[in-house]
Amino acid sequence: MPFLQLNQVAFTYAGKTSPALSGINLSLEKDDITAMVGPNGSGKTTLTKLMIGVLQPTAGSIYLEQRPLAQYSLAEIGRRIGYVFQNPSLQLFCPTVAEEISFGLTNQGCDPTVVEERVGFYLNYFELTAYRNAFPLYLSHGEKQRLAIAAVLANEPEFLILDEPTIGLDAYRKRLLEEYLQKVASLGRGMLLVSHDIAFVNRMAKRVITMGDGRIQSDSGWRGNPAYDA
Amino acid sequence: MMLDPRTKMVMVICLTSLALVYNRPAQLLLLFAVTVVLLALFHFRISAIWGYLKPFLSLMLFLFVIQSIFSPGNEVLLAIGSVPLITTEGLIMGASVVLRITVVIAAAMLLTTFSSRDFVLGLVQWRVPYELAFMVSIALRFLPIFKDELINVVTAVQLRGIELKKIPWGQKLAMYRRLALPIVYGAMLKAQQLAIAMEARGFRAYPRRTYLRRLQFYWADYVVMVIFLTGTIILMIQPFI
Amino acid sequence: MEAIAVQGLTYQYHSGSPQVLKGIDFSVQPGEIVVVAGLSGCGKSTLCHCISGIIRHNRDGVMAGNILVNGKNIEEINGASLAFEVGMVFQDPDTQLFSPTVEDEIAFAPENMCLPPERILERVSNALEVLGISDLRYANPYHLSGGEKHLVALAAVLALDPPVLILDEVMSQLDIVGKQRVGDALTRLRDSGKTIIAVEHDLQAIAFSDRLAVLDDGKIICFEPTSALLAEPSFLAAHGLIDVEYNGV
Repeated sequence: MPFLQLNQVAFTYAGKTSPALSGINLSLEKDDITAMVGPNGSGKTTLTKLMIGVLQPTAGSIYLEQRPLAQYSLAEIGRRIGYVFQNPSLQLFCPTVAEEISFGLTNQGCDPTVVEERVGFYLNYFELTAYRNAFPLYLSHGEKQRLAIAAVLANEPEFLILDEPTIGLDAYRKRLLEEYLQKVASLGRGMLLVSHDIAFVNRMAKRVITMGDGRIQSDSGWRGNPAYDA
Repeated sequence: MMLDPRTKMVMVICLTSLALVYNRPAQLLLLFAVTVVLLALFHFRISAIWGYLKPFLSLMLFLFVIQSIFSPGNEVLLAIGSVPLITTEGLIMGASVVLRITVVIAAAMLLTTFSSRDFVLGLVQWRVPYELAFMVSIALRFLPIFKDELINVVTAVQLRGIELKKIPWGQKLAMYRRLALPIVYGAMLKAQQLAIAMEARGFRAYPRRTYLRRLQFYWADYVVMVIFLTGTIILMIQPFI
Repeated sequence: MEAIAVQGLTYQYHSGSPQVLKGIDFSVQPGEIVVVAGLSGCGKSTLCHCISGIIRHNRDGVMAGNILVNGKNIEEINGASLAFEVGMVFQDPDTQLFSPTVEDEIAFAPENMCLPPERILERVSNALEVLGISDLRYANPYHLSGGEKHLVALAAVLALDPPVLILDEVMSQLDIVGKQRVGDALTRLRDSGKTIIAVEHDLQAIAFSDRLAVLDDGKIICFEPTSALLAEPSFLAAHGLIDVEYNGV
């Protein structure tokens, strides 16, 4: 049974006449790495925001684990789906890097020693140990990216959505990210990667969805969209 | 109806002045009604009015209580011993204060019926120094940015699995307090970066600047402004005649 | 005369904190496209902020050394006027866009330059056309996608028509079409005599550049013609510019 199911979903931003998305039918499994590609403005980010309930569809329905998404609270969705924003600054709000990573766990009542262990692990894995007590908004873009991913992963959600995770990362760190995401996937966690980094997508994803003009142009594999012939 | 932004600014000034002068709920309610009609005429979504008023509800309730309690009056409704606690006059004054705030906020919404660029143009054509005009415009623009920052943080916090509505008040308050610093700092950083970006495009390089478009008054603007200004002056003088 | 000459530049966030830039000597000729690359945190953005004068005027921190732009020391150029010599596009488009429409945003710079309305309109139309975003003319920048915002931010700086342009990771948020457009636009600008410094990770962005400077831990360790460096993939891989398996573009 699909983890996330979208039926005839459409969305129009308030005050606009043309829809940002229309006729979206999609089902995502929990243990797949899926990539979503498409030109700027094709609706990829909007679609992901609908999937985590930050935006509500103007038509159609979305189901998470066979229950309507509208019945979940944002927090309940957040425990199941980890979302990493395109602009990492939007989701960093703690006074220190370490606290950012531990925030979700601590406030859900997790054991302090376990929290400490996880924080240490993620700081190490994302090479942020030196910044343990730094103010997150002072970090460079790439470092904020890594921190945002670490903070979301620390909650160990079942599914991850990453919006343009490779922006601001150099090739070496892109490779590290790929390795980590592969590891996460092999533990049975599904992922949706929104990216226009084709090489990254080709290396990571088993399934590729191409968006264009607010619709799904193709699913799994490339199909003659000239803008996308690498 | 297409009116020059400066005409709308004059309307806001008139409505706000009257709101500050009037202190009977009936008059203030009438002013509010006039403001709402104007907002509708300028294609402002009436349903959005509530959204703008909501953040001020607790403040208004607080002021209502403060104004009503211990106000002197003839018709005492509730008393502690011989000290009048609530009087009808007190309640009326409380209602007036709340309505006054409502009218001022609603009038300010008229300022959102034109773009921030036109707002700057309006002030500049009224000989306000351009730095000041931009400062005011950006400050106004920062209110929704602040609101967005807040929404972003609240969304981000919830997406980390925290059920904000279900955690006890004490914990919630402690969390808000700890989040306040990064939120304020984040907004300040944004403001600083914005200032840098503007300077990086030559803002304030010269004491004057030119503009792509200029605002122009048409006869409708003159008519409306005259009506509003004379009307306001008459209404303000009226009690003294 | 060099377009940009940096002599002995050092920079620390506060006095006493470690140096982010440790003695940079660097010069760029007019009509060159130079890419500055290196691992995250090596100082590339800081170098750009120093060259464009942003750091001197707006941030604390201790900066030493000389920076000359078009032969003039930036210390002698008044803050905002420096923008007419060096146009800088920043990494985060959300804090660079503040106008109600894209047209207003792009008009902002020429207005600051006191150009007459016809010339302002000309610059706006040119900038929109060069980047292929004429259809966004009346859109609200706030509602655009990430990549579109970057293009608008770039157009807004292009409207300054400065002799030197610095772009801080502009290509990375663009899709292939966007990268191509910006790459073409930059090449055309270079051919018309402009000097361009781009901070990038992306190999595709690097490919059309003339020279490549690699920064490591606050020092320039290499500054060679791009074609020569592209022929040495192992060197590039060691500095995080390409993956070990890459076979070039």
